Amino acid sequence: MKGEPSINTNNLTAVQLMELDACVRCGECVNWCPTYDAANKDPGLAPRDKILRWRQFMNKSYGLRARLFGPKAIPEEDIEQFKDDVYKCTTCGMCATVCEVGINTIELWESMRANLVKRGNGPYGKQGMFVKLIGEYMNPYMADNKDRLSWIPDDVKIADKAEILYFGGCTAELRQQKLAFATARVLNHLGIEFTMLGEDEVCCCSALVRTGQYEIEDIARKAARKNVDGIVAKGAKKVLYACAGCYRTSLVDWPRLLNEEMPFEIIHITEFLEDLIKEGKLEWKKPFDNLTVTYHDPCHLGRHVGVYNPPRSVLNAIPGINLKEMDRIKENQRCCGAGGGVKAGVPDLALGVAETRVQDALAKNPDILSSACPFCKRNLSDGRDSLGADELVVEDVIVLTAEALGISLDDCVES
Amino acid sequence: MSMEYFSGLTESAEIVNSLGMLTESMRITFAAVMIMAMISFAIFMIGMYINLKKWGLGSEGYGLKPSNGSILTFPKTLAYQMSAKGHGHGQNIFVTLILDALLQRRALKRSPGRWLMHIAIFGGWIALCIMSVAMFVVEIIHMVGIHIISPEVFREMLSFPNDVFSYILLFGIIVAIFRRLFVTKARESTIAFDSVLLIGLTIIVVTGFIADGIRNGTFWGMGMQSDLAPPASLFHVVISLFFCIAYIPFSKYMHMIAGPLTLMANKGGE
Repeated sequence: MKGEPSINTNNLTAVQLMELDACVRCGECVNWCPTYDAANKDPGLAPRDKILRWRQFMNKSYGLRARLFGPKAIPEEDIEQFKDDVYKCTTCGMCATVCEVGINTIELWESMRANLVKRGNGPYGKQGMFVKLIGEYMNPYMADNKDRLSWIPDDVKIADKAEILYFGGCTAELRQQKLAFATARVLNHLGIEFTMLGEDEVCCCSALVRTGQYEIEDIARKAARKNVDGIVAKGAKKVLYACAGCYRTSLVDWPRLLNEEMPFEIIHITEFLEDLIKEGKLEWKKPFDNLTVTYHDPCHLGRHVGVYNPPRSVLNAIPGINLKEMDRIKENQRCCGAGGGVKAGVPDLALGVAETRVQDALAKNPDILSSACPFCKRNLSDGRDSLGADELVVEDVIVLTAEALGISLDDCVES
Repeated sequence: MSMEYFSGLTESAEIVNSLGMLTESMRITFAAVMIMAMISFAIFMIGMYINLKKWGLGSEGYGLKPSNGSILTFPKTLAYQMSAKGHGHGQNIFVTLILDALLQRRALKRSPGRWLMHIAIFGGWIALCIMSVAMFVVEIIHMVGIHIISPEVFREMLSFPNDVFSYILLFGIIVAIFRRLFVTKARESTIAFDSVLLIGLTIIVVTGFIADGIRNGTFWGMGMQSDLAPPASLFHVVISLFFCIAYIPFSKYMHMIAGPLTLMANKGGE
């Protein structure tokens, strides 16, 4: 009697299984992988070797030999090792960008992770807490969901219903409130009527999708449903995001989870501001004093969905800011190291990648390292602190915008 | 079906050569080539069937349940993915096929040197393959009695382009071998999966040059025994059919099919 295959194909699409056979092992992905670099070139982390190993797993389980003589058993330790390696990836997508045959590695790693979660191997380390936290608290910070409103200062006017909705996101509402402060006050300042979901907002579930846990207890789908229904109930036609992770998840993952098109437009705050700048609607009241700013493209905003120019347009429009680009930008950008659950699961690795990225920035002698994602800000700040580069300010584009518009954020106290 | 495959020898009386190597059973005939081509193609089809079954174990879309291994699952998933909306990425399929699959723009963008090596191998291989198929078709047409062009004349017409593309392929292979042997990064990462492909191509090209030289009686200025032309041709044909057709689904050669399909599925990639 033939044995059972050691692995199955759960969560992998037919196209993804084909992509495994497309890899020519050119090694371009290895040249650019940020976690491979930060892990002292651990060969197990090289993207092409992960593809090779899963292809070998597939062939041992379902290839010619398996068909003739039965599947060949794969040692459990090999699968565990593979799991460790596939989770030591920020899913930044650099390997997809440089892949000569265009393999969509971001989706591939996420599908492998989801497969390994179902098999009982994944996730990695503390990432397993995401399910409990988001399932129970509706955010990954163990905060009371009512606290999503606690940052709102008295002067900020949030309509009960409006055509524009600002989706704050867990990190901005519960940890980096300055980002939410800035976004809300900029919108008020510009006379844009907007609404928010408030305590009805649920985590976008990016962390669950990135770590392959989105099917557990159906939490991610239910969360997406609740958010989408809430947004529709608020009468919103446009939803603004200042968090790159929430933006990517709403744009790409929610339609997949719900199997439907979103009934509203999904816009990153920098895209929204870029349009207003073009229309001449921003009046800069407090120009910066000739500061050099370098911009870090968040993976979830850049490579994942192609938003490269709007943040730069905003920075270029702010008087007194001299935008100086790093060597690796846009589609060739180096990841900050926080994504893909690495910050939670493998913090040392996340810090190692962040240090390298901060060094990229320091090479340009900037006053400010700016980004458009609270996760990037957090990890780049950690990288800066680790390097002792205290003079470097790490700040979000929307915060710089608020300051240049003359909006005070001094009353913001972050958790 | 006793038509003799055109090997440069027109007299079939000489059954055993001076070295005693050539027997009637070794004499290369159209039927023999035809049978070998059919066997190679059959192995190729079996391999592709196994691959399609393997790919068909995947789901038809993200988050869906795995399929049952139907050979239709992959084409359906591919068609769906190609028609799905891209986010910030995605380009016209003709741009993808011409610039990315055919001209390998993505490789050029990352490493012009590696692109030159690969485009030489790819271009040489494809051109020789097309010319071989064209020669095969001309022989079939001639065999069934339609005399548009004689195989001998057509072969002479192809002689020059054959030489040109053979040298292009040879150039690519030499660069590839050099890279695998002397570029540290490439050498250290080379595994049997990579080596087999290169060894196969090298054998094909070398046997091709030798067979051609023997048929013409001269090989890079050296005199060759013309009566060895049939077995030399036979060996070259067998090894070419094996590596260039039969072995594709079971080896790294599969990237020739899976690569363009991946580019199409991902609308040219990120």
